Amino acid sequence: MKPRALSSSLRSWLLALLVCACGSTNDDAESPPAAESLLAPALRRLSVAELEQAARSVLGAPVNLRGSLPPDALQNDFSRNIAQSVDSLTLRQLYDATRSASEALPLDDPAYPRCAALAQPSDTSCSGELIGKLATLAFRRPPSTEELARLQALFAVGASGGTFRDGATLVLRALLASPQLLYESSLGEGPPQHGVRMLGQSELASALSFMISGTPPDAELLSAAAAGRLASGSERYGQAVRLLGGPQAIPQFQRFVEEWLGLGQLPQLAKSSTVTTDFAALSRAMQSETRSFVADVLAAQHGSLVALFAGGYSFVPDELAPLYGIQPVPAGSRVVLRGMGRVGILQQGSFLSVFAHEGESAPVLRGKAVLTRVLCRTIRPPQEFGIDLMFPAPDANATTRQRFERHAIDPVCKGCHAQLDPVGFSFENFDAVGRERSTDAAQAVDTRGSVTLNGAPLELKDSVELSDAIAQSEELRSCVARQVVRFASGRKDQPAEDAFVTEMAALPLAWRSSLLGLFLSYVKSDGFAWRVGQ
Amino acid sequence: MTRSPRISRRLALTALGASATLALTLPGQRSARAAEGRPKYFIGVYMPHGVSRELWLPRAGFDIAYPDSVLAPFADSATFGQSFREQILTIEGLDLSAGMAGGTVGHDGSRVLLTGSASNGRNASLDQFLALEQGLGEGMPLSSLVLGVGSPNPALGWCISYAQGGSALPKIIDPADTFQQAFAQWVVGADPAALAKAAAERKRGKSLLDYWRVELAALSARAPESERDKLEQHATALRDLERRLDGELSACTLPSAPDSATFPLVEAYQGGEPYFDTVTNLQVDLIAQALACGVTRVATLFLNDLSRTHLDPALPDDVHIDVAHRYESAGRDGQGGSPATWQALARQNRYTYSKIARLLQRLAERQLLQDTVLIALSDMGDPARHSSRQIPALVAGGWGGRLKAGRHVDLGETGTPNNRLLVSVQQAFGVASESFGQASDPAIVTGKLDLA
Repeated sequence: MKPRALSSSLRSWLLALLVCACGSTNDDAESPPAAESLLAPALRRLSVAELEQAARSVLGAPVNLRGSLPPDALQNDFSRNIAQSVDSLTLRQLYDATRSASEALPLDDPAYPRCAALAQPSDTSCSGELIGKLATLAFRRPPSTEELARLQALFAVGASGGTFRDGATLVLRALLASPQLLYESSLGEGPPQHGVRMLGQSELASALSFMISGTPPDAELLSAAAAGRLASGSERYGQAVRLLGGPQAIPQFQRFVEEWLGLGQLPQLAKSSTVTTDFAALSRAMQSETRSFVADVLAAQHGSLVALFAGGYSFVPDELAPLYGIQPVPAGSRVVLRGMGRVGILQQGSFLSVFAHEGESAPVLRGKAVLTRVLCRTIRPPQEFGIDLMFPAPDANATTRQRFERHAIDPVCKGCHAQLDPVGFSFENFDAVGRERSTDAAQAVDTRGSVTLNGAPLELKDSVELSDAIAQSEELRSCVARQVVRFASGRKDQPAEDAFVTEMAALPLAWRSSLLGLFLSYVKSDGFAWRVGQ
Repeated sequence: MTRSPRISRRLALTALGASATLALTLPGQRSARAAEGRPKYFIGVYMPHGVSRELWLPRAGFDIAYPDSVLAPFADSATFGQSFREQILTIEGLDLSAGMAGGTVGHDGSRVLLTGSASNGRNASLDQFLALEQGLGEGMPLSSLVLGVGSPNPALGWCISYAQGGSALPKIIDPADTFQQAFAQWVVGADPAALAKAAAERKRGKSLLDYWRVELAALSARAPESERDKLEQHATALRDLERRLDGELSACTLPSAPDSATFPLVEAYQGGEPYFDTVTNLQVDLIAQALACGVTRVATLFLNDLSRTHLDPALPDDVHIDVAHRYESAGRDGQGGSPATWQALARQNRYTYSKIARLLQRLAERQLLQDTVLIALSDMGDPARHSSRQIPALVAGGWGGRLKAGRHVDLGETGTPNNRLLVSVQQAFGVASESFGQASDPAIVTGKLDLA
């Protein structure tokens, strides 16, 4: 059975580590951090998944928006990003979807004021109580007097000539598509000090909750915000650890890993019938494997990056067992795969299928994915050098490697392909769906490759050696730290990333080589809590 | 304020009657840009996988009907009711120069087609520019229709419509949704109770809009300048929603709701491919009818390919890899290349153009073609090289009398930015500016093509 939440013992361990997870946190609001490495204030439109959670929080029941809203526009690979907007189609779809959802408002639910189920439309006391509750949930903060008055006026329009429910429904519709719900605000509050401002308490609560669990802040977090406690990095850390015990934390980390590594493309892939006849079923199994594996890495391996890339095990669904050359195992059983060519997420079917063509392996795509996503290197597209791509022609007598080796002969192409191809070639023992193969074009596959890590060249026998080396590398740890900043802030900001990488370098190895450690450190950091002042 | 009489009720009756046309008085001109002597409608189409140049080029005398001609659908009067040879113009020699200068190349080049900008550009695409910034969408229930086939993915490489500020606009890929967005609200039925319910909903909608505007203004007042475009887009969406609530249609026959049973799946890689032909036809027909009914004056359509549709047994399952990547052009010097690969890519190209011919047919049937500017572009010239150079351009429609069609324009190999086509289009609509798009080199965004 795959874990659904992080255990209390793990959370106790994380809390115990607070003392060493110091970072450059400044709990003293009297001396704000320097502005140079801070993010600019921004409004982030929630992702579709977050909108569903936000609507659910207000309505008290699940709301399906994924089926009606346009999909997220990814930015820097993440669905959480400040480039997302409220365009006409999104608003029209939201208008239609929330209209039907609001009609299901369960006024007799204990979560709503007891008066609501039987109140008359003229009962402004009851409507005021209901509006206050709904607006607090929608805005993720206490509404102002003016905001309450506007909602009360809207209630009156809805209830006019109708029922209390009509008024409540109109208010609910207003809230579910309100700008205050749709955007996560990180503008900061109060006058700038030395050119910087701390986020408001409610902003901190939302930022923390959406980052750790993809949900709006719960009552305890809102309470901490109301008490002004979230200015403290240690308090934010403690709240984040608490949220890690919730049911949405593991799905949020699964989302982070899938988007970071591009694995969300899996359902949008087709594969040639020459490699598989039922990729739909296979891809579902691949997604399941990766999610179970990531959940285990978090819950049982303290979020270890070493385990993620070189743990040597996985959870293989029955549909995937033949592809991996193993016998089916009981659901949820850990399978040791080291010694079978697969040691971590880079040798899983999901990664190998996404970074492949429909009918054949793709060394350039695999090499590029490792270098750009896992090691955060920049590879410029060939057209920037005035080079038109030339795909290798099919050749039944040449291996994929041999065909691709030819295209890197050009001295201009070699500049990038000398980095890309040797990394991608190390995966040549896997076909377009990640099935291990020993021959290609009737010749033995050649998985030798090379990579430069931390400035040192390294010869590789195969991708297992690549994963083992990457798992231990400072480059990986720095890259994941950058990805955490991108995921959390919804943007790519070099100074902010550099600052966090520098902070992380001062932390113990076990801490900075853990997804949990990196997320918690960022929540605790000044970069999380402060913005450049306007 | 003087309001045109609402005609929803009568139109609804028409829709319920399925096919009868009501002759109603057309509302007066609602946009300064839709003026006499100017085109009134803009349609942008994305064409996948570049072009088989050898079979795309018209031959002497603008012969487009030679054997295996990619352009043959435009001369196929038997299928499309008439020949559109005199309503199209082909342009060779456009480069996606702003994309090449800014690293937005290959498949990502679709970003450049209507924006004339790389991925860091902040200007709106031409369709949105005309609709929102130049008033072509004024008075329309929808400022524009942004449609696609197969993929709702709003990522780079999957969109041609972009909002001011640079964010991609999502596409509607389900014809049932297109109908819902463009027509459904006018199909309210003749039943008084239904009409009263619709009127009540309209009133509630107006109250909600008022509320959201105040909330958005309050947020905008606190937001930094960097968020201005985003919030303005939100405000635009609210205005669009209001127009939809208030909307009035021209005299037209409302289409029937598409029968979803004929396209049970619509997404690529999710089993939708066998239904793409049906979906494409419906999207094309709905665009023409949306223009005819005054739902909008601006539309874009992101077409898909024949992969896994099994519509053309002469094509392999994967058109992208096994046709587009295998294409071996003879190039401009006409030497070498692989004629078999030309034929394969030409089949895909011809299919794409058959859908554009269908759109021209639908527009012509509704007497809209003369007032339409349609441009169909691909993100690549030679798809095997993922080349952003020499992209195929097809221009069609009457441009309100401002296009000299029935000919081929060869701009040579010097690299003429596609921005110049965009400038020509905006000038046809009365926008005086000599530039369109954003690039570090002003020469890329400045200048026009002489198409009149």
